[in-house]
Amino acid sequence: MRKFTTRALLVAAALSASVSTLAASELNFWSWRQEDIAAYEKIIAAFEATHPDIKITYTAHEAKAYNTILTTALAGGSGPDIIHTRAYGSLEAISGAGYLEALDGQVDLSLLSADELLGTTLRADGRIYAVPFASQTVVVYYNKDIFDANNITVPETFEEFKAASTALKAAGITPLANGTADGWTVEIMSGAIMPNFYGSGFFGEVTSGATDFEDARYVGALEKMSELAEFMPTGFEGVDYATMKALFTSGAAAMFIGGSWEINGFRDAGINFEIMPGPAAEAGGERMVATWLDGGYGVNAASENKEDALEFIRFTATTPFAQMLTDELNNVAAVDGAMSSDATLSRVSSFHSAATPYIMLVAFRFDTPTGSTLLQSGLQELMTGAKTAAEVAADVSNGIKTAE
Amino acid sequence: MANVVLRSVNKQFGEVKVIKDVNLTVEDNEFVVFVGPSGCGKSTLLRLIAGLEDLTSGEVHIEEERVDHLAPSKRGVAMVFQSYALYPHFTVRQNMGYALRVAKESKETIAKKVNDAASVLQLTEYLERKPKALSGGQRQRVAIGRAIVRDPKVFLFDAPLSNLDAKLRVQMRIELTKLHRSLNATMIYVTHDQVEAMTMADKIVVLRDGKVEQIGAPLDLYNAPDNLFVAGFIGSPSMNFFDGTVINTSNTDVEIDVKDSVKIKFPLNEPSNLSTGDKVSFGVRPEHFTIGNTNQGTFTGEVYAVERLGGETYLYLYVGDQKEVVAHMSGDQKIAIGDMVEIGFSLKQSYLFGPHGDAVR
Amino acid sequence: MSMTNADYEKAKRNRTLKLKLWLLFLILPPAAILIVFVFVPMGSAVWYSVFDWDGLVRKEFIGLANFQDILFNPLKNKVLFNAFMNNVKVFVSLMLVQNGIALVIALLLARNPKGYRFYQVVFFLPVILSTVIIGFQWKLFLNPVFGLVNKFLHNIGLHDWALPWLGLPETALNSMLLVNSWHWFGFPTLVFLAAIHRIPKDFIEAARLDGASEWRIAREIIWPLMAPAITIITVLTFIGSFNWFEIPYIMNGLEGSPAGSTDMLGLMFYRTAFGSVSAGGSNFGSGSALAVLMFIFIFVFSIIATKYLTSREVEMN
Repeated sequence: MRKFTTRALLVAAALSASVSTLAASELNFWSWRQEDIAAYEKIIAAFEATHPDIKITYTAHEAKAYNTILTTALAGGSGPDIIHTRAYGSLEAISGAGYLEALDGQVDLSLLSADELLGTTLRADGRIYAVPFASQTVVVYYNKDIFDANNITVPETFEEFKAASTALKAAGITPLANGTADGWTVEIMSGAIMPNFYGSGFFGEVTSGATDFEDARYVGALEKMSELAEFMPTGFEGVDYATMKALFTSGAAAMFIGGSWEINGFRDAGINFEIMPGPAAEAGGERMVATWLDGGYGVNAASENKEDALEFIRFTATTPFAQMLTDELNNVAAVDGAMSSDATLSRVSSFHSAATPYIMLVAFRFDTPTGSTLLQSGLQELMTGAKTAAEVAADVSNGIKTAE
Repeated sequence: MANVVLRSVNKQFGEVKVIKDVNLTVEDNEFVVFVGPSGCGKSTLLRLIAGLEDLTSGEVHIEEERVDHLAPSKRGVAMVFQSYALYPHFTVRQNMGYALRVAKESKETIAKKVNDAASVLQLTEYLERKPKALSGGQRQRVAIGRAIVRDPKVFLFDAPLSNLDAKLRVQMRIELTKLHRSLNATMIYVTHDQVEAMTMADKIVVLRDGKVEQIGAPLDLYNAPDNLFVAGFIGSPSMNFFDGTVINTSNTDVEIDVKDSVKIKFPLNEPSNLSTGDKVSFGVRPEHFTIGNTNQGTFTGEVYAVERLGGETYLYLYVGDQKEVVAHMSGDQKIAIGDMVEIGFSLKQSYLFGPHGDAVR
Repeated sequence: MSMTNADYEKAKRNRTLKLKLWLLFLILPPAAILIVFVFVPMGSAVWYSVFDWDGLVRKEFIGLANFQDILFNPLKNKVLFNAFMNNVKVFVSLMLVQNGIALVIALLLARNPKGYRFYQVVFFLPVILSTVIIGFQWKLFLNPVFGLVNKFLHNIGLHDWALPWLGLPETALNSMLLVNSWHWFGFPTLVFLAAIHRIPKDFIEAARLDGASEWRIAREIIWPLMAPAITIITVLTFIGSFNWFEIPYIMNGLEGSPAGSTDMLGLMFYRTAFGSVSAGGSNFGSGSALAVLMFIFIFVFSIIATKYLTSREVEMN
């Protein structure tokens, strides 16, 4: 019996040795983008064509459970070689715990802007742990057919925006599809409306501590936000994300403030829409869009095929990869140099000349309660009239100051 | 005049007729017992009087007033349940005073009435206890006390003694009779036990299958049962019945042949409609047998069991192929199992029932 | 072959041993399940709660700092207090509405109305449905734009009544409570009905003869005698209320939207321990501390309530 065991072990060892020398190294790539499986497989095929000795398997987990699945696997010493990471606070949870390989020095990051790299930098050591992949942008979608049918010209300033909305409402059309039932959709809406009122300088000042959220500029922006409640659907307090989309795609509502990831869905729904940045505070004022980095690609520090994994990560920092991301997924790629053949997507990219960080996600999602939690709850109270702009601003400001 | 009158009372549960055309009068201050085997409808009849069930048809009158449309509490009746139905979360005092409290009597009146009833029933020292802390007999008395306190026109008892042991039952029987006399109230009492009926009743109503079989004073039922059923039901042990055939009839007597062996000439007080060849039942109560031949009639049988109680003796015999003929003798009899014994009877203390069970007199 | 005294003793010992082994066999499996799935997780929650575990990796031992943080950090205890008061409101409302309706229905059904079996089944039907489906279904029914509820209100002319039920802080929690009541009332109904059926009919008939009205019978005879059922339902409702999670999570999300008006201890625990997109990263230490606090509160109160409620129960005979 003992002899047999020994012999079996020897055979197995010999076999595994021969396999590893003969076959390509196999890499696992985990993501939460289930809707992007086909596109990623195409991209991976392109990579494998130039790297015949590397084989990558793309696995997409359910988006809501992804963080839990990933962190559990990493904590258990397993996990994929290549990791699709989120950015900012969510990334810090993994990179701070030492599960990710630091990429600066190992990967050429020259095609990425400092703003974008901020999203994958660990604040504690200043090193970069993932290659940023795409950014999201808050825009205003509008239904061109409805605008034309009611002779509405595309508004440029906030007053024009309100005037257009008033006209639409008079015509029996819900001007804005947005509701407040899902807190995060209100935060998104604030990302289109508020920056043009608090201005481009505010982000730097509030993050450096030079001012706080009780700043008159921020309170004023909140007040403007609250003026839009009357243009939202009847019962907007109970309108959730799914209902918002249904209202816009069915043509019941003329405008929809949302993220750039909606483009594909709205196009599939067959509406004749166009996008614009949030309205300017006054004629000739700046029209900034709030943007943030959606995530990046990182390498598991414990991977046995780290070098091969890094090879793929290097590929994700190149223009050809960015071009594929743009073509296949209609993403606004973080890496420079990609040209979109899609007109709408090109417009999104063009808005980036006046971009401002999506404030709470980019800068205040590291402590609990997060800026997002505070702002979402505050905006719900603001829009339903339960609190004034000044009260909401005070709540947010105090909450952020008291957070650890 | 707290009398109770039932007129053509019928009760149906779905398709099942449980009470069939019952007519009955209970006089004021009378103690009437409804007796019959289980399922005869005696409890249902009581519940119809109480108002716990609705009549299908007929009328119920109490004290010359029609009450079958009234709620139970408006009929002036009080009921003692077989289970006593004492509220377990109330003390004895609260149990007895509940109806008065519901009727919004003053505290003083309630206390007085409860105390009075308690002293009559010797419950005074238990007034603050919960029913759980009482013995069966005490609970029984509380249940009666609860009825007394209400000062009803009619007391209704639904087999109230069946949960007590034999000794206590005898005792309570006497107490209830005493109570009836002292309260001077109309009482209707339901039981399946004919001994209770015989010992307590002024008048017995024998029920079978929802029908009244006979109404009468206890000894009238004993001495002159109207039919085979009443004859068998009243008396303990039950009357012995022998199958017979009419061989001759006349205006003054009927000659019957019992088991091809014994020929009996049964004297008639009134003309019968029996004719030769009719199948009849001949009945003799166990206590009416004597040992040895009588000139009027004698059976011979083999003794298969003897119960000696000292003061009395029960003999169990086979008479021909008829099993279980019981004879009740006073004193101790020198008879052993296996003995062939002659038992005799007198024609005056024997009964004859026609083909349909009706008494022939 | 006669047996000696020693033989008898041996046989007797043998019998006791067999009985003991049998009892052991009966007790061991449930004990094992209890240990693995109840005591070990409970123990580990207590263990985790004394560590700094902000993020993925467990860091150093910090004693009761997590508890202190939850209870005394002004921001967190504000959230905690808000969630706790919501749980209290849930408990009180469910006792009044869900169990109150159940009691009334049980009293009606106990009188054996026509179609009694049918109603019993119909009332119990929602209980066997999955909470997830019910939460989702009612979320759709209450949708201000497409929902059946508001459509119905508009159709019968009550336009002012057509509110965004789940979106207003004043109505969101109440709407969810009604949904929960609809989901669960069949269960207390069944328990109450069984309890009423257990009361001998004689008690009620005796009371009826004593002249008590139906209301009085219900209040003075039936109610006190169904005390054991009231105890069970009260304690179960208490535990359920303070562990309430599924309906609020499905209908108004992890953040207790709108503006914390539907926040519950359970949601707060989930957000703290596992994190969420908006609420930030996971903190097992804080989450475990909150879970321990919830457990202690529910456990202690359940025991006090059971003790108190049991003391007012009476044996029927």
